[in-house]
Amino acid sequence: MKLIAIVLAVAFFVVAVLYWVGMFGGPHVKHGILFAGLGVLALIWLRFQSAAPTRAR
Amino acid sequence: MTFGQAMFLAVLQGVSELFPISSLGHTVLIPALLRWQIDRDSPEFLSFVVALHLGTALALVVFYWATWKGIVGAFVRSVARGRFERTADEKTAWLLVAGTIPVALLGVYFESAVRTLFASPLPVSLFLVANGTIMFLGEHLRRRQHAASDRAYRALESLNWRDGALIGLSQGLALLPGISRSGTSIVAGLLADLDHEAAARFSFLLATPVIFAASVLEVPKLFTASGNTVLTEALAGGVLAGVVAYASVAFLTKYFENNDLRPFGWYCLIVGAACAVLFITKVIA
Repeated sequence: MKLIAIVLAVAFFVVAVLYWVGMFGGPHVKHGILFAGLGVLALIWLRFQSAAPTRAR
Repeated sequence: MTFGQAMFLAVLQGVSELFPISSLGHTVLIPALLRWQIDRDSPEFLSFVVALHLGTALALVVFYWATWKGIVGAFVRSVARGRFERTADEKTAWLLVAGTIPVALLGVYFESAVRTLFASPLPVSLFLVANGTIMFLGEHLRRRQHAASDRAYRALESLNWRDGALIGLSQGLALLPGISRSGTSIVAGLLADLDHEAAARFSFLLATPVIFAASVLEVPKLFTASGNTVLTEALAGGVLAGVVAYASVAFLTKYFENNDLRPFGWYCLIVGAACAVLFITKVIA
């Protein structure tokens, strides 16, 4: 699961950059921000995977 | 666009963005009915609309300030911890994330194309009728669903991420001008077994990041040459839309404590049908 989160985060950030630099028919700022946001969410998912599990009481 | 028309549109935006009657639909229909010659695609008008949306979003943030402080704090703490504590604020925060992703995807990819296709008076009139039908259908299904059991309504925090995503997805219908974003999301909330008050509250919270992000991204347009020509109207309109939106959300949160969507459904059916007749018969070209 950690690997999937990392791959997704990298993929989303790459797509965001590609949108910003105009690789998909001109720059699309909103699309870039959307994918950067998804990248951040993937990193948050990774954070949840990496944190120590809660101990059973 | 005269100053008077601008202020009228600001009031219209402040009311119709939050009442479940479609703000986009009304900004297409009313100028057409009043025979105002407004170029909706001109850079000046788009700059003005940005200011109206920004005013509305700020009004929502101010109205729900204490709630947002709790939600954002709980979100940041859960990310810092890397695990869920399942407090009410934290659950609401993640429900808002789940609800915002689908509508953001749909908005970014389809909004422009859908508006180009349908943002003219006749389709908007028909979508307004559809909006009224959705509200009646939602109320009917909810009553039937609830009549089958005598359980209490669910609390907002008891929704799971699928419910949040579905409510968010329902807002996608509002890309069609004439379909209300708050209307569809309140109906989706009712079908998830929330009461009217909780469904409306979640709808308004869900609207805030979307309206805010969409308008903040467009703020640079206000400071272009075309934006400068309507700066006075934009500033006054933004403030007026914000004040009216604040009053609207205050009214609606009180209204939904004891009332349902049917009056808005009737309004949409009657106004939508009347406008459709006027445009089909070419009484109004």
